[in-house]
Amino acid sequence: MQVQLTINKKQHTLNLKGNETLLEVLRDHLSLTGTKTACQETECGTCTVMINGKAVLSCITLAANVQGEEITSIEGLAEGDVLHPVQQAFIDHGSVQCGFCIPGMIMSTVALLQKNPNPTQEEIEYGLDGNICRCAGYPKIFEAVREAGKKMIK
Amino acid sequence: MALTTKSKYADNYVDPVGKSVPRIEGRGIVTGQLKYVFDVQMANMLVGKMLRSPHAHARIISIDTSKAEALPGVKAIVTAKDTYQIKFGSNEYFFPHTVDQMALESEKVRYIGDEVAAVAAVDDETADEALRLIDVKYEVLPGVFEIEEAMKPGAPQIHEALNNIALILPVNFNNPERMMKEADLVREDKFWCPVAHPSPMEPHVCVGQWETFTNKITLWSSSQAPFKCREALAKTLKMDLNDVRVIKMAVGGGFGGKLEMLPMDFAACLLSKKAGGLPVKICLTREEEFTTTRRKHGMIYKVKTGVKKDGTILAMTGEVLADGGAYCSYGPTVLAAAMMRIFMVYKIQHFKMTGYRVYTNNPISGAMRGFGGVQSGFAIESHMDLIAKDLGMDPIEFRLKNITEPNMTTVNKMILTTNGLRECIEKALVASDWANKHGKMKHLKRGLGIGIAADVMGSKMYKSHESAGAIVKVEEDGSVYFFTGAADTGQGSNTALSQIAAQELGVSFSRIKCKSGDTEITPFDTGSFASRVTFISGNASLLAGRDAKRQILEIVAKDKNLDVEEIDIRAEKVVFKKDARLIMSFDKALELCYSFHYGKQIIGRGSYNPKTTPIDFRSGEGNVSGSYGFEAQIAEVEVDTDTGVVKVLELWDAHDIGRAINPQSCEGQIEGSLAMGLGYTFYEDLRFKNGRVLNPNFAGYRVPRSIGIPKMNSIMVETNDPEGPFGAKGMGEAALLPTSAAIANAVEDAIGVRIKELPITPDKIIKALKEKQGTQ
Repeated sequence: MQVQLTINKKQHTLNLKGNETLLEVLRDHLSLTGTKTACQETECGTCTVMINGKAVLSCITLAANVQGEEITSIEGLAEGDVLHPVQQAFIDHGSVQCGFCIPGMIMSTVALLQKNPNPTQEEIEYGLDGNICRCAGYPKIFEAVREAGKKMIK
Repeated sequence: MALTTKSKYADNYVDPVGKSVPRIEGRGIVTGQLKYVFDVQMANMLVGKMLRSPHAHARIISIDTSKAEALPGVKAIVTAKDTYQIKFGSNEYFFPHTVDQMALESEKVRYIGDEVAAVAAVDDETADEALRLIDVKYEVLPGVFEIEEAMKPGAPQIHEALNNIALILPVNFNNPERMMKEADLVREDKFWCPVAHPSPMEPHVCVGQWETFTNKITLWSSSQAPFKCREALAKTLKMDLNDVRVIKMAVGGGFGGKLEMLPMDFAACLLSKKAGGLPVKICLTREEEFTTTRRKHGMIYKVKTGVKKDGTILAMTGEVLADGGAYCSYGPTVLAAAMMRIFMVYKIQHFKMTGYRVYTNNPISGAMRGFGGVQSGFAIESHMDLIAKDLGMDPIEFRLKNITEPNMTTVNKMILTTNGLRECIEKALVASDWANKHGKMKHLKRGLGIGIAADVMGSKMYKSHESAGAIVKVEEDGSVYFFTGAADTGQGSNTALSQIAAQELGVSFSRIKCKSGDTEITPFDTGSFASRVTFISGNASLLAGRDAKRQILEIVAKDKNLDVEEIDIRAEKVVFKKDARLIMSFDKALELCYSFHYGKQIIGRGSYNPKTTPIDFRSGEGNVSGSYGFEAQIAEVEVDTDTGVVKVLELWDAHDIGRAINPQSCEGQIEGSLAMGLGYTFYEDLRFKNGRVLNPNFAGYRVPRSIGIPKMNSIMVETNDPEGPFGAKGMGEAALLPTSAAIANAVEDAIGVRIKELPITPDKIIKALKEKQGTQ
């Protein structure tokens, strides 16, 4: 079947069987390998992308079901050379260790801050609880989220 | 000809060492452009999968692959018949008899998940179908799953080892029996340390390609030790080292689990050969990751200590029983570390402990961050608090009376030079307000607990040496290429080592381009383990920077008719050592090196092997490390006595790191270790039933998540070790070692109950509270 997807503001026409997840389409069909997965069963948050501004797990989203929706992956956050404030904050605050969880963590953060740029510590913790960082760099991730939020208000 | 007129580096120069420069890979990570082996896509790449034993213990009667081979889309199938059947293992230097695993088994399987065959096919579904079509006939054997059961005579025999004991490790010094008699108090405790799993976010993944015409192999592997992987591949495939190239890309975490070649690495190469040289990618599922890679050893830890009334420790004895699972892996050295770390921490002269590493039909135990020290850390540091309580002493006062000092030789001949343990304890004490809080918050059901620890900066594992090499290549435009064999697995070693090389060369950090972990291009390095990289690979990086600098200075000295000994490169400038007077800029010096007259390539090299003595495992003697790191940790908890839930309110970790090369990365290591320690204390518990893992996923096996991470305070104690690069020591593991004990000790301070079996769960707290009420 032919499927039309809007990913990072770009139109893609794909020939799919219909049972492909959005994760598979991003990584295997479009070579957008910035989106990772660590479990493929909704438990780790690593595959998080945004659909219409909401954080969504791409490992259980059927690609054919999100035609016409606004899909954003980690590759679509920066504007040219200029990083999104969340991306920049993750670098500046040393929030990245191995980095494998970070694309998903950043997508969850952007979704959280777009709704609520000044979250409380509790709101940050709940907002990111679906995303595992096994290096467990959480304190520096929390710092980055707070600082990025301040920049997004400005 | 001037290639550069003005240096963009000189104006913004800051000393690279001691500065929290952002990760070299930072921009690649946050934009999703950094490539992991997980992301590798190649033309005509095949999907590889492993066929695993469904039985915990069984004899293989026959393997029939004919139906699978006939399936369209299947490109290769390999079984033990296609191999030389050479065993591999990880402690071959010290314990050659523990090299006990085949890449593909042909006679017996010893755990659920043991590899018997591998397939390569055009896609996922075909590979899965091929696995289903391979017909393996087994004769199921009785299995044994508990340590003490496995040791009984007559228990099912897993390997040849008598009573399934792969290794008995005695550590004996002087006369503990006699000293116990002289003690005013003798206390004995028994602890259970459960099984944790490294479970890095990027699962084990590799791409193998066998160039069939040249007979060369390339393996892209998510590895902590590419050179170790190369060695095992070459050995088991009967090839020369230089026929095998292992390339480490960005690694999505390791935590000890990626220190070895696994059967999948071997199979990917062999499948590629059979498939005519097409690349084969094998990526484990999360369930395979949890069940078939390497896990922490579950340990029964028994310890008995005799002390004088004034708190002086006279003697210690004990026994450690470790569940090794089906194969040895790094088990022997993990067991040794679990018993011998104590000598770095406490002055003990009379000691006798015996360790048993026992085969069971459970999944394979091996290395995991902390390397035996997490188990001993929980047992010993809980035990120390219990002794202090029996003596009526403050637990800190008791520890201060017995801890090791700077410039001493321990009973097992470890040479401790710089030792900031006392300072760490004192700083943690002040920061946590111990004096006003410990024992004084029972009415709030709050408490404070301490744990202390020490760690090595490297340790020989699989070779007689543990050297690291580095190369610093300076080009004519002043760009600096830095090559290290060290494997950055996310801890930030590419960045820290580049900082060290830049500092020694005298240039800005931003000049450095780092290439790491490629066995064909970068110098040898044993790998990322034992907190060794900053110290050992760091020293090699420093020496390479120094060598390159010397070559530049020799040209400048010759050209300007100066004595090379009186000049130096500092902050992007060639200067006189005595008064820092400018001779020329770094860029000018490079123009000179690459000029018509000199045409001198600048290629600096560094090789470092720490000054250690080989450990003698018959006695436990040996100076295993060139430097030692120390730390003290304090936890503050609050217990809800209705629900049994323990909440950690705050953690303090004072850490002798020698010198912080990159303070932000050091904090990241400490915070990550503390969080992992919280996980081990409260919920990380891989459970088995008849050899089957009951919770092989992130839903069943909880790891630390953002909710429940308390405030963490990292306190750097800089002892400037003269042997370390710019004074630095390693620090990737130590902060994980005492966390469980600090928390268990804090729980006792808060509510007066003692948990000796991890994890500390609400039901254990409630049960302990009930028992306490019952006895009152």
